[in-house]
Amino acid sequence: MDKTDKSDIFLSAIELNKGIIYKVANSYCKNVEDRKDLVQEIIIHLWKSFDNYDNNFRHSTWMYRISLNVAISFYRKEHSRKRISNPLTDGIVDFPHYDSVEDNESNLGILQQMILQLKNLDKALMLLYLEEKSHKEISQIIGISETNVATKINRIKNVLKQQFTQIKNQ
Amino acid sequence: MENPELISIWKEQNAKIEKTLAINQLLLKDAINNKAKSSLKSLIKLKTAGIIAFVFYLAILGYALVYAFSNYSTAWNYFIVSVSAIALINIKGFSDYVKHLVWANNINYNGSVMEIQQQLLRLQLSIIKHAKIMSLQFPFFTTFYLSNNWFPHEVGFGYIIFQVLLTSSFVYLSYWLYKNHKPENLDKKWFRTMIAGSGGKSVMKAIEFYRELEEFKKE
Repeated sequence: MDKTDKSDIFLSAIELNKGIIYKVANSYCKNVEDRKDLVQEIIIHLWKSFDNYDNNFRHSTWMYRISLNVAISFYRKEHSRKRISNPLTDGIVDFPHYDSVEDNESNLGILQQMILQLKNLDKALMLLYLEEKSHKEISQIIGISETNVATKINRIKNVLKQQFTQIKNQ
Repeated sequence: MENPELISIWKEQNAKIEKTLAINQLLLKDAINNKAKSSLKSLIKLKTAGIIAFVFYLAILGYALVYAFSNYSTAWNYFIVSVSAIALINIKGFSDYVKHLVWANNINYNGSVMEIQQQLLRLQLSIIKHAKIMSLQFPFFTTFYLSNNWFPHEVGFGYIIFQVLLTSSFVYLSYWLYKNHKPENLDKKWFRTMIAGSGGKSVMKAIEFYRELEEFKKE
């Protein structure tokens, strides 16, 4: 495969699955500038691993694994590392502006805020659950048993539902 | 809403994402063509000051040893043994530092989250391992200045006791630091203070995440 073909295939894969990158970046970064940096890092790592893409897994599984790994380790890196490349003024992914009071108070806004508060690994689990991934696929992406996936999802789901109800009743 | 359907709430954004989310093709191509290649170079540039300082330090130790060997007499024995030990420990520490730097930048993120995060954590926590190894050199800083010319026969008994106690204390300190330098001691203030000076913030985050990972592994 020549370089142009590879780039084109990669760009199509990103375009088709841009929602994954958006949702992961949105769930792991509160700050808009951090989201841009995170998106860039995710794309770089996806590109680096594109040659080794395993056809036994779906594109979406591959993208979730890399996106989540990059996002989870993002804030553990030294602060100075985040801006080693030229800082972006525009982002690779243009995020819709969801910062109005109306958006934040909508059910989706509340859910997104609650997801942001979760711990890193719980967040990854919930993202995949909300994306309606099977327990088997979640187990492959996260690397824990299917039983453990089910147990943890139930626990986090119940906590979120309780919090959600409390917030809406205020 | 008493029993919110979380999935249907989450799905509300899908239509909006498909309609409004745009990929900036130009920036995307720039990321894959240029930035992907330059990330390792940038990291090394960042760490260059540390690498240069280490090399400079090792050069000084090497020069001191060459001088001692070139002008050898038994008076130099304490110096040669001490500085050799210090140099070897620093060479080991330095090579681990560079090795981990390159590994961390080249890790393939296409693995399960648990597997990759554990690998990353091991690398990030290598700072603790590095500090463990560096602490082994402390006793030799209490012996390099001694000389067969005057120690122990030309000094009083009091000094001999003092020297033995000094070196023994540093041997114990090294042993204790080596044994207790581990992520499990994150709760201890002395540990946090000690690692604060060696890339501390990212290490602290790594240690906190280590705990989250260990907790997450439990069924």
